[in-house]
Amino acid sequence: MHIDRLERYWIIAVGVVLGAFGAAIVASVVVFGVRLPSPVGRIDPAKIKESEFATPGLTQDGDHAYTLRIVAKMWKFDVGTKEPQPTIKIPAGSRLKILATSLDVTHGFYVEQHDVNVMLLPGQISQVDVTFNKPGVFHIICHEYCGPGHQAMVASIEVNEGN
Amino acid sequence: MQQTKALNRTPELTFPKVGFLTSEQWIVGSHVLTGLMALLFGIFLGPFQVFRRAPALKWAIPVFSYYYQALTVHGVMNALFFTTFFIVGFSYFTVMRSLKRNMWSTKLVWAAYVLMLVGMLLVVYALVTNQANVLYTFYPSLIAHPAFYLGLVLLVVGTWLVTANLFLTYSLWRRENLQEHLPLAVFATLTNFVLWCVASLGVAIEVLFMLLPLSLGLISHTDPQAGRALFWFFGHPLVYFWLLPAYTSWYAMLPKQANSRIFSDPLARVAFILLMIFSIPVGVHHMFTDPGVSAVMKGIQTVFTFVVAIPSLLTAFNVGAMLERAGRNRGAKGLFDWMWKQDWRNPVIAAQISAMILFITGGISGIMNASLTLNIALHNTSWIPAHFHQTLGGAVTLTFMGICYWLIPMIRGRGLYSVKVALWQVHTWSIGMMIFGYTYGAAGLIGVPRRTDLGAAPYINELAVPYLNASVIGGVLLLISGILFFVNILGTLFLSKTPLTEEAPIDTYVESKSPLWMEKWGLWLSIVAILCVIAWAPVFLEVVDFTNGFQTPGYNPNGGIYKP
Repeated sequence: MHIDRLERYWIIAVGVVLGAFGAAIVASVVVFGVRLPSPVGRIDPAKIKESEFATPGLTQDGDHAYTLRIVAKMWKFDVGTKEPQPTIKIPAGSRLKILATSLDVTHGFYVEQHDVNVMLLPGQISQVDVTFNKPGVFHIICHEYCGPGHQAMVASIEVNEGN
Repeated sequence: MQQTKALNRTPELTFPKVGFLTSEQWIVGSHVLTGLMALLFGIFLGPFQVFRRAPALKWAIPVFSYYYQALTVHGVMNALFFTTFFIVGFSYFTVMRSLKRNMWSTKLVWAAYVLMLVGMLLVVYALVTNQANVLYTFYPSLIAHPAFYLGLVLLVVGTWLVTANLFLTYSLWRRENLQEHLPLAVFATLTNFVLWCVASLGVAIEVLFMLLPLSLGLISHTDPQAGRALFWFFGHPLVYFWLLPAYTSWYAMLPKQANSRIFSDPLARVAFILLMIFSIPVGVHHMFTDPGVSAVMKGIQTVFTFVVAIPSLLTAFNVGAMLERAGRNRGAKGLFDWMWKQDWRNPVIAAQISAMILFITGGISGIMNASLTLNIALHNTSWIPAHFHQTLGGAVTLTFMGICYWLIPMIRGRGLYSVKVALWQVHTWSIGMMIFGYTYGAAGLIGVPRRTDLGAAPYINELAVPYLNASVIGGVLLLISGILFFVNILGTLFLSKTPLTEEAPIDTYVESKSPLWMEKWGLWLSIVAILCVIAWAPVFLEVVDFTNGFQTPGYNPNGGIYKP
């Protein structure tokens, strides 16, 4: 099969460029430690009340180390409080282990300006570890359609100076 | 350049007589026009979502409580029905003209058409009665009215009949022409329907065994993670099913329209073979943020996704070289001036080249989406609709519109209603899509979510406001473009008085040096099967809960547990 000389160069260039992109991805994992959500366990949505998600919310594990448990449901991020759009307050520099699941349908979990982007599915537990260094208020946004109240499904993380 | 040959066709459509159903005009015309009706229903809901999401304009649509219904209609009608009907009609045309014969069975053509049409009507019923607001990805555990799933089943079964008909037509031709080279357009069409059939197995299993029975009340539970895996087994090859007919037009028809010839026929076929094989083991790149799929499988499918970028980059060279030849024939002398020395006054050519330009950003943003860790910054933000409006909305739809500018006149037997309107349509479309792509891409990077009625949201991201407001310009241009397109189509069908002057750009190019082993369909299917085992079997083993089965009940999209 005949391949034109210029086209052969092009194919080589394509291989080199895609290889470089691939190397960049490997570097993002190995050097910069970016992690994708991975399986951490299943949960029967009918038994959430009997699980570690029975009392969602923030618990302190140590100095600047917290675990945040969230149950997503139509159309609220439940962190154990009554407000429809709850706010979680943590000091700057906090390491947060987020454990979340969904009670009913597919929801999304996205935190503005941080590498937190994970799907919340009924039957699955999602885990993300993230450090909040910059003070400010960052929205937690449900970014997967979950019904007519979807756009109101939002919470906030308030990162405070000092403490 | 254009042969002005009197075509042996009456300018008026005669009253249907016995036998009318066999004519190419009716076979191709009914499929393409049904597709355009689906597009007409879906397309205009797009700009209004842009307006609704722009803080400066949301007051203009104050009672737009139908956001998600409109979004579902927009996605389902455009991405599932417009594409499928159009592609089937275009594929019939390509195969019949290039092989110079009728389809294997005309009855089967109409049986498949009726199935798909009934499917579309069922889905439309579920959508307009507000019982299927599940978007075009219909992820469980949101459950729609059974008519929605039944309609999808009929659509898919219809396309399987189409595939059978196409392959039987081809095998009849092959038996009579043992040493002939299969015209490239037909080769491409066949690869497209192979990948479609393999891919549709995923969605068929999802709909038949998870969604439809739950919707009918035969089972009570489902598994969202397994549903997503089955959907995306189908969902990524689906985008290639849309794209390959556009490539077919670029490779096999545009050379004739632009007075050039294909640069490398064998490498075009290699590209189609690679697309057919590697579009399957890549769907997990839509699930990089899913909790139930391991990072190892996500990495493996990233590699395959990079492989499936190769045939598109081969296409960029091959089609680019063909266009360079076209530009040189028009007097281009320099290194780059062939790019604009094209026949921009021909809407068929302008549409296809503009589609290619949009596909540059579409393709690059796609490689970014597929880049494993980078995806965390992009997944489910408005970057994603920005991306697929450059690919599906840009490269594919604008190419299909360009095809309509010769195909609709051909099936009507009259000239295009207005070339000027067509040119305005092409340019408003490409500039509108570029603005939409840029503004939504930027807003997505800032953190604006996709598929969200931002006009009613209690939060706003101040940084994204200028981009969302600027996107209105894109929305207005696309709205105008959509109107111009349908004015021209309706004008051509009902008002045009000019005679048909152009012949259809039929690909019967057979001086190909392509080896005949490229038609070893069994070999390709075996490779696909092996790749499925490598790339998908571990995913399904992970996502299916073999001890507990399905544990999540179905939910009504409007809230509460789903009741059949």
